[in-house]
Order: sequence, then structure tokens, then C-alpha cells
Amino acid sequence: MISKAESYRLLWDFALPESACTAQKWVLSAMQSEGPELITMLWRILGNEQDVCDAYQDTFLHLAHYENGIKPRNIKAYLFRSASNTAISILRRRLIERKNLPQIAAADKTETASNDLDAGHLQQQLRYNIARLPEYLRQVITLHDLAELPYVQVAKIVGITETSARVYRHKAIQLLAVWMNKEE
Amino acid sequence: MKNKETTTCKDIRDRLNKIISSYLSFDAAWVQNHIVNCPKCQKRFSSVGRVYLAISLLKSRPHQLDLLRQANIQTIDTLAHSVRQHCKADKLKTARPEPKLIEKLSPLKGALANTAACIAILFLARMGIFNSMEKFQADSQKAIEHYYEKNIGSDLSSDIFSS
Repeated sequence: MISKAESYRLLWDFALPESACTAQKWVLSAMQSEGPELITMLWRILGNEQDVCDAYQDTFLHLAHYENGIKPRNIKAYLFRSASNTAISILRRRLIERKNLPQIAAADKTETASNDLDAGHLQQQLRYNIARLPEYLRQVITLHDLAELPYVQVAKIVGITETSARVYRHKAIQLLAVWMNKEE
Repeated sequence: MKNKETTTCKDIRDRLNKIISSYLSFDAAWVQNHIVNCPKCQKRFSSVGRVYLAISLLKSRPHQLDLLRQANIQTIDTLAHSVRQHCKADKLKTARPEPKLIEKLSPLKGALANTAACIAILFLARMGIFNSMEKFQADSQKAIEHYYEKNIGSDLSSDIFSS
């Protein structure tokens, strides 16, 4: 990971002129104001510290590179959407990795059969099913239930009305309930 | 006129919402009675409950205190040199998640409510509201005394009000 960070740093130093770098100090302000909430959301989506750090890093790098260093109009919306998408990509990758490793997959099956109400398994099941949801439902449930943002803010971030956000959340819960019930 | 119409409209909407939610919520008696007797709905209800349980389990598991610091360090190290050298970057490298102001104040909720009540009482006293209330009470008592004197005689009335 350190080598990855190091390579990013070198690349970044060469890629941008100093004027653009100076203008990017707002990235630090965004990190200061939204950082703790983003970390909480990423932790709930991913449940793994290294993955959280990677998703956080990718999110802020995307922000710094956004249209050649121009500040987005709604930084919070950009950050939360970008972080949630990055986290879901990582989660999907992890799911594929788990499926491809026969030993882990077998262990998962035994765990499910032996202990139905295992908290860890239930959380993992929810995470993977959230990753399966269509984007418009996934974003609402991630922002409202995992980032604990109120519907007004969720609506602003996703670009829909508050009522639609409520409806989407309800649909997402129903879909998750059906999928999680089938997996039983 | 327009204002009055808006208020009525809002009242009606609120009332309708209350009525609808009392009939259509999961806690409504007819819904509960139905769930008790319907295996399909029981299954649906339990699967939705399972989702809510999983969400609350995710929320209840906290991350390590220095996760924010670690993530900030990793991210800042990949940003431009001038950004990395900024004083804010140093602060972020040692940042820890702190509770929000409302959460910090929650243990002091009772004390704050008492202080607010004291301030309100002082304000009311300063405004002279208590004096006018006392004056109003004395005037009312005088009126009642006068009424009794007129109807049952001054002796009996003075007996009643002197005790």
C-alpha cells in the first residue's frame, strides 16, 4: 500500500502545475468537514480498514482531479456519491474473489448452515445484497441508512425529490428482504 | 385570507396523515390481527425485520478510533506537494473522529433545560407578567367577595374569606 501511495504521489507531482495545486487546498477543507462521516459510511459498507482507506483515497483523488482541479458545485454530493460507488466496486471485487476461492466459499456455506443468526454472516449478506441493488435504490439506502443522512440531504445528493427518496428506500428494503430470504 | 386558507389546508393535511397512519401503520390493530393469522405476511414481516436487524448490526459495530487518521495520512500522501505542506494537512494527519456538538451536549440536557427555564422565569419577572398576574388574581378575589356579600350577607362572606 505504501508503494501504491508513493507512486501516486510521484505521478501527481509531475502531472499538475503549481498554480493548479495551490487552488486545490479546498480538497483539505472538504476532507476536514466530510471526512468523519465518509469514514463511517465506508466502514459500514466495507467492514475492512484497508479497503476503507483505499476507497477514501480514491474518492479524494477523484475530487482533486475533477475537471482539471475545478471545485465541484456541491462537494458533499460529489464526495458521498463517489465514495459510495468506489466502495461498492471494491465490495463487488471482494465478492468475486470469495467466489473464486473454493475454500472460503465452502467455509461460508458451512457457516450459513450451522448458524443462521450469526451476526457477522447477516452483515456480510446485507453488504453483498446492497451491492446487487440497482444504482438508484442502492444510493438511497447507502446514504440514508449507512451514512445516516436525512431524506432532504439524500434527495439533494442523488438529485431526486424527497418523496422519491422515501419510495426508493422502501423498494430497496423490500428487494433486500426478498433476496435475503431466498438465500436462507 | 390566503394565510387562513393555508393554515386550514395544513391542518387538514396533518389530520389526514394522522388518520391514515393510524389505519395503515404496522402497529394498527387490524394489521397486527392479520399478521397473527397469515403465514405469508408473517414471512414477509420477518424478512423485512431481518433486513432492519442487519442494518442496525452494521451501525452498531464501530471502527477503530485512528481509522480517520490512517485514511487521511494515506490520502494526503498522494496529493500535490503544496497541498501536503499546508498546515491543514498536518492537522488532518492527527485528526480523530469527534462527537457532534449535539451529542456532546446530550449529558447536559437536563441542566441546560433547567437553566433555560430559569432564564425564562427571570425574563417573565422582568417583563412584569407576574405582577400583573397577581393584580389580576387580587381583582378577581375582590369581585367574588363582593358577589358573596351581596348574596349571603357581609357576616357570612367575611367568615368564608377570612379563613
